[in-house]
Amino acid sequence: MRKIVNILIASVGGQGGLTLSWVIARASVLDGFSVKTAETLGMSQRYGSVMSYVRLGDSVKSPLFEPGEADYILGLELVETLRRIHYASGSCVVIVADEYRPSYTQSIKYPALKTSDLVEKIKSLWGRTLIISARKLAERAGSVRALNMVILGVFNAVSNLLSRESIERAIREVLPEHAVSASLRAYELGFEYAQQAR
Amino acid sequence: MTLNSDILAPPGTRVPLMGNEAIARGLIEADARVVVGYPGTPSSEVIMALQPVSRQLGIYAEWAVNERVALEIALGASIAGVRSIATMKAPGLNVASDPLLSSAYCGIDRGLVVLVADDPGPHTTQTEQDSRWYAKLAKLPMISPSNPQEAKDFTKVAFDISEELGIPVILRTTTRVNHTVSDVVLGEVRRIQQDVKIVKNEVRFVRAGMAWNLERHKWLNSRLRLAEEVSTKYSLNSSSGRGEICVLTEGVAHEYVSEVLEELRLEDRVKVIKLGLLYPAPRKFLLENLAECKTILVVEELDPFLEEQVKAILHEENVHVRVYGKLTGHLPLEGELNKNQVRNAIECIIRGLTPPLTTRSEHTLSPQDTPPRPPPLCPGCPHRFSFIALKIALSIRGYKLSEVPVFGDIGCYALAVYPPISMLWTEHSMGASISMAIGAKIAGYTKPVIAVIGDSTFYHAGIQPLIEAINKNIDILVLILDNDVVAMTGHQSTPAWSLSESGRPLRPVSIESIVKSISPDFLATIDPYNLDEMISIISEIVDRPGVKVIIAKHPCALLERRARKVEKKFYVDASVCRGCKACITATGCPAIVMEGNLARIILEDCNGCGLCTRFCPYRAIKLLQGDST
Ligand code: SF4
Ligand code: SF4
Repeated sequence: MRKIVNILIASVGGQGGLTLSWVIARASVLDGFSVKTAETLGMSQRYGSVMSYVRLGDSVKSPLFEPGEADYILGLELVETLRRIHYASGSCVVIVADEYRPSYTQSIKYPALKTSDLVEKIKSLWGRTLIISARKLAERAGSVRALNMVILGVFNAVSNLLSRESIERAIREVLPEHAVSASLRAYELGFEYAQQAR
Repeated sequence: MTLNSDILAPPGTRVPLMGNEAIARGLIEADARVVVGYPGTPSSEVIMALQPVSRQLGIYAEWAVNERVALEIALGASIAGVRSIATMKAPGLNVASDPLLSSAYCGIDRGLVVLVADDPGPHTTQTEQDSRWYAKLAKLPMISPSNPQEAKDFTKVAFDISEELGIPVILRTTTRVNHTVSDVVLGEVRRIQQDVKIVKNEVRFVRAGMAWNLERHKWLNSRLRLAEEVSTKYSLNSSSGRGEICVLTEGVAHEYVSEVLEELRLEDRVKVIKLGLLYPAPRKFLLENLAECKTILVVEELDPFLEEQVKAILHEENVHVRVYGKLTGHLPLEGELNKNQVRNAIECIIRGLTPPLTTRSEHTLSPQDTPPRPPPLCPGCPHRFSFIALKIALSIRGYKLSEVPVFGDIGCYALAVYPPISMLWTEHSMGASISMAIGAKIAGYTKPVIAVIGDSTFYHAGIQPLIEAINKNIDILVLILDNDVVAMTGHQSTPAWSLSESGRPLRPVSIESIVKSISPDFLATIDPYNLDEMISIISEIVDRPGVKVIIAKHPCALLERRARKVEKKFYVDASVCRGCKACITATGCPAIVMEGNLARIILEDCNGCGLCTRFCPYRAIKLLQGDST
């Protein structure tokens, strides 16, 4: 039996973490994998901590996995990624956008952090970390909201798990029409970026 | 939600569906004609998935004003001859419990299914209610899927069983089935002859105090006794593996059990019995399958429901087997299950240890590194204006915020409980804001008492309490926060809409005319974006005698943003900002963040409401000129 691949997506509500999990799930099914997703999100539509799980393999049963079991952590925001870093398994690759969204609690209660501090913190905790200038790439693709698709591009270049055709089709099927072209472009930019970085 | 067109894909196709979409597909395959519910996480996507295609398929898929109305509509449709379902989250079944219990006595003509989605955790629900008890209470069969594939398949089966037994069937799910996306193989779409007719039958349909109710009760019990036999051919229950140790499980817990056994390489030493029919527990099936077992571990979400049933059955049959589970401390009585807990429980049983085994300690960072991120009201949210107006008005009138209770209700506005707004004292059950405020006044509370309720919640359960307040002459201020949508559960329609999501023309029912018709002592409709007007009216009327109603009417910021592009954006002029944080502490708008020592507005998040500009003592927040987005 092929091993199950566990992907954890850490994001702030509204950044498109859920959408990212659905695109990966859909592409996985198109590529013939069995898949399960789950998410923890609070009661608001936006701005809370969101954690999504995607699992793919030959036969996936549980939609959840435990701390220490993630093969990939895809972070759309630095603090949220830090919050979930204990999900990393020994061979985990962490792919994270250099995006910092201080929460209200952060702004009021604690000294402001710098993006560079957060990046250092994550790197010190997890060596196999790729920090991606995702906002810049998303802007170049035509929309900052496509930051999630930049991360998808990097993820697929690194993991080599899914076919390009399936991802493209999944993007067209999951995202609203007006967001499709920027998303496809963002995916490409993320993919190319990761290949060049190698 | 954009349509997942896969719910219409041909039979035999393997497609990715969310559990709720799979149920929607199951409804299409079962030829259900009436699908009605009230929005509630995690159940809402069933109706949302159907609505874009429902009219073309000849399905009535609409939201009802509340869950009891939904269930009564479904019951009426069923006795008129068409397959029907009512969908709801767990507390919704409490609202619908009255018709549920009576529906068991009258029985059905075409299949009637009640979908209830429980929320172990709880993630988005007020309690960790285990709705399985309703099956026992109402004496109705209950079936429960473990994954999206079964969610689709069991939906179909539920209708068949309902028709064979002549009583409603409860389809019970949990969040990890409703919201999980998984590959699902589609089945045939059946077309079933469904003739619309109603046969007059007082013994079936007339309840209160009738002599024949006793007979109907006997009839109901006789139908329920057939449940196991009737359901056998649908293979709802299954067993795998063999051994003297046996795990009895159901729902998503089954998925955890099978993975844990695989990981521990115990598939050949432990027998797994999975139940799809949860009530009545399939006695014959259990006794056959438990015959070889010396030890039973019951793994189920929420209450020890199966654990108690299986113990009772074994006791009645005089079988002596140890049963472990939640009552023996092997698994927790609260919270959502996870694989680690299941692994611990199984290891305890295998190694004969007493629980609890120590759980792996989680790597934790200090809150300084990862401060909590409680969900705030969105940027530009009109509720923020209403609460801030209330706060300012109360202080203008010399009241301390700690002496004026604000009874809240269920909706996004409950997020006002968090700082910096901190203006919500209670959030209890649908409609309770007004009723609890009435109680406080009747008890003799002399300071002003305020009730805050949203538009959808007002339609759902707020009208009767308002009648009560007016009728009893209670001195309260009621704020109806009308943002024109059921926002929290994903933007569903309210009775104020003129077109439903499925494209059905509706006749709008206005909150203002409802309230006007019961004559409160004061009524005004204000746009809360006019903050000064809100403040002056609230401060003027807050301690007047009688029932004062303010309808604060402004569309949900997310809806507005979607409907037309944001016209204005604001930014912080870094050369003026002194980093005093007043903009953040006053509004809590999540579009404003501190970066270094200065405030910054995240441009793509700002919805241009302008509220923050009022609170900056240095006028550092300015309107962005020129093209913005
Ligand atoms: S104007 Fe100010 S308060 Fe309003 S959405 Fe923008 S940043 Fe938030
Ligand atoms: S209130 Fe004005 S000065 Fe104070 S932090 Fe906000 S923008 Fe800066």
